[in-house]
Amino acid sequence: MATTTATLTLSSSDLLSNALSLSATQTLYKAGTTTGLDQIQYERLEVPTGDVYDLVDATALGANKANKVYIANKHTDATKYVDIYIKTLNIGRLYAGDWMFVPLEAAPAGTSPETYLQDVGIEAVSAAQVVEFALIHEGKTQTAS
Amino acid sequence: MATTTATITLASSDIADNALSISNTMTMTTAGTTTGITETTGLARKKVASASLADLITVANTDVTAASSAKVYIKNTSTSTDKYGLIGIGDSSGTPIYLGRLYGGDWMLFPWDANSGEDITLTMSDTTETVIEYMVFFE
Repeated sequence: MATTTATLTLSSSDLLSNALSLSATQTLYKAGTTTGLDQIQYERLEVPTGDVYDLVDATALGANKANKVYIANKHTDATKYVDIYIKTLNIGRLYAGDWMFVPLEAAPAGTSPETYLQDVGIEAVSAAQVVEFALIHEGKTQTAS
Repeated sequence: MATTTATITLASSDIADNALSISNTMTMTTAGTTTGITETTGLARKKVASASLADLITVANTDVTAASSAKVYIKNTSTSTDKYGLIGIGDSSGTPIYLGRLYGGDWMLFPWDANSGEDITLTMSDTTETVIEYMVFFE
């Protein structure tokens, strides 16, 4: 098993009257266990404008697990952003320099994953933008070539 | 304007032949600018002892500007790695879109579009009392 950690540090000296200093560390385990996630996909790509494209393909084998997704918008123009989708829902914008880190359910529990898979989509708005993403997971359905 | 940063470090010495080391810092700014975000809910703690779908953060109860640059931090403070809180976005009286499961000790940070009806929902895996922490940064 692998040991992978994700550490967050949130800080500000002037957002509140007192300094904000928050730190959180998690070890990335397989669902319901203390066994580490041991598979990873890590990519950097340019996302064109004009449509919502699949960034992470949800698969039945990856549904209802403890998979984690990291996405970073590596663009440098602060006016540009990408919209992030789960299935058809636009959950929010990653402006240039922003990142996100979330667990990925991939399909509603109790449903047929093949029917209700929830891909992670991305749409570059007003300019093509380079993003990096990592999927740290415990398995995904392979497609025969 | 305030300067608020969020840094993530993803690290592993054995998930691949070569070490994984991803580190990234973002400065939280208002939409399309380099001006720092100046509003936050502050860090909130909520005890949850129900396994029913419910709102954790309701759009109507915040002053978040929709379709801008809001960010949400959520952590399951439990130490139980076999119990989880399922985070979704949508109407708790309907069928939200589920992002994923926060097992004990897990955290997440994500952008929030916060349009009407896009509340952040929580469904615990059982009725064990669990403390969930959350914080919203917004304009």
